[in-house]
Amino acid sequence: MTGLGGAAWLCWILALGSVALAFPGPERAGALMTRPFMQGFTAGVAALLAFNGLRALKRRRLDSVLLHLGCACVLAGWLMGRHAERTATPGNPVTGSMAMVDGDVTDKLWDGPQLTRYVGRLPFLVKLEKFFVEYYDANAQDRDAGRMPPVREYRSRVTLAEPGKPSYVANVRVNHPVKVQGYHIYQLSWGQSQDMYGRPVTYTVLQFIRDPGLPVVYAGFVVLFAGVLLFAVRVFRITLPDAREVSP
Amino acid sequence: MMVKMTLQGGLIYLTFALFVATVAALCRGRRAVGRGFWFAGFVAAVASVAWRGVHTGHPPMQNLFEFFLCMAAALWPLSQWSRWRNGLDTALQDALLGAVILFPAGFVFGEEVRRLPPALQSPLFIPHVASYVAGYVMLARAALMSLPLMRASTDAVRMRQTDAAARQTAAAGFVLLTLGLLLGSLWGKICWGHYWQWDPKEMWSLATWLMYGGYFHYRLRHGVQAPKTLAALLWLGLLFVVLTLTWINVSRLFAGMHNYA
Repeated sequence: MTGLGGAAWLCWILALGSVALAFPGPERAGALMTRPFMQGFTAGVAALLAFNGLRALKRRRLDSVLLHLGCACVLAGWLMGRHAERTATPGNPVTGSMAMVDGDVTDKLWDGPQLTRYVGRLPFLVKLEKFFVEYYDANAQDRDAGRMPPVREYRSRVTLAEPGKPSYVANVRVNHPVKVQGYHIYQLSWGQSQDMYGRPVTYTVLQFIRDPGLPVVYAGFVVLFAGVLLFAVRVFRITLPDAREVSP
Repeated sequence: MMVKMTLQGGLIYLTFALFVATVAALCRGRRAVGRGFWFAGFVAAVASVAWRGVHTGHPPMQNLFEFFLCMAAALWPLSQWSRWRNGLDTALQDALLGAVILFPAGFVFGEEVRRLPPALQSPLFIPHVASYVAGYVMLARAALMSLPLMRASTDAVRMRQTDAAARQTAAAGFVLLTLGLLLGSLWGKICWGHYWQWDPKEMWSLATWLMYGGYFHYRLRHGVQAPKTLAALLWLGLLFVVLTLTWINVSRLFAGMHNYA
């Protein structure tokens, strides 16, 4: 049982590392974690967790087994996703976005703050039928009273044409991604701009993400939570015979 | 510092007053009166949350103001649960905690209504936030419960009982913390496209989770050999919770995806 003291220290060190990563901001922290050294470090932590999970199997501590293997699974799934990002090709992109106005048809994905970096082509065609923005009713008690009422919903109605299949219509909106051929389609943002004749147009930005590690991560979530529940049950089973006598 | 001259404000101040009255009555040994105030405070806190929900037209869990109202309403049931489970009467410290939680809701946070942006319109909204509400309250109570461990005069039986109660409360809080983290992650995937965004609030929440992970490992390794360290670890965890709720929300240093509050 000597490993437990070390495990406590490892938890606290990782907590400090997590706090340290809160300072540079999401983009830089995320970029830092994709560096080979941090990928290796994460793989090491995952291996250690898996090793301890299997070791707990010998002691028949099922809660510990599930907790550690679940954590290892989540980290492994995350590493799979990063590996897919590194090995992505223009013929098989992992993530990218497209800005569209009503009627546009494309399968090209772009990246970068202004969506100017070409990423690759999707295995299917996307046509934007129509983009909708709906607002809340104006309300005098609102924080935004007197200004434009806040946006209630925005969504893109697209037609998806997969090769060898009849094309179909889908609605992409925030919190309701659409899944096509391993890609999730997200309603990322929208905005107003001008077309080449200076007329105002509303454009929508759709994001496409493919993550082969996702099922592994979700499996890890389930296993991890089962482990936490079992751990709590175990802690709660400790009852003290004199507990009620001492109560004030 | 501002006073709310609305029905919402009135309900908050009523709850606050009832919590303070609970503390005052229990400190003078008037236990029946204290219990009455304590339950009345719970009813007022629930009324306050319910009115907020009716008034805004959405689940009252959108910003820190609403989050704190929910925390105050969650206290009484959790207190009753500890009494039933561990035989510990925590009404005094829970009422005190409630007054501390309600102070910013009553005097610091604004109560303007803000309609839900599309990102927050999700069935995962309530479970994710509610897990954190209940989890944070549990962890705060675990820290308060562990106070007798700090005193050298506590006898062995009392010590073991206190340790068990604090550990069980922390374990329940840890389950809720895990649930909140995983549901938030799932929601992040559905809403933002990624289950982990390296967002400052995410990093601090993970750090909090790891701090309690360290506590449980330490408790497994050393038992109650060093009760003061156990209590200190629970207070350290609570420090992370408080920082996650305050500094990370308020400071511009930590701008990120969670800037709804």
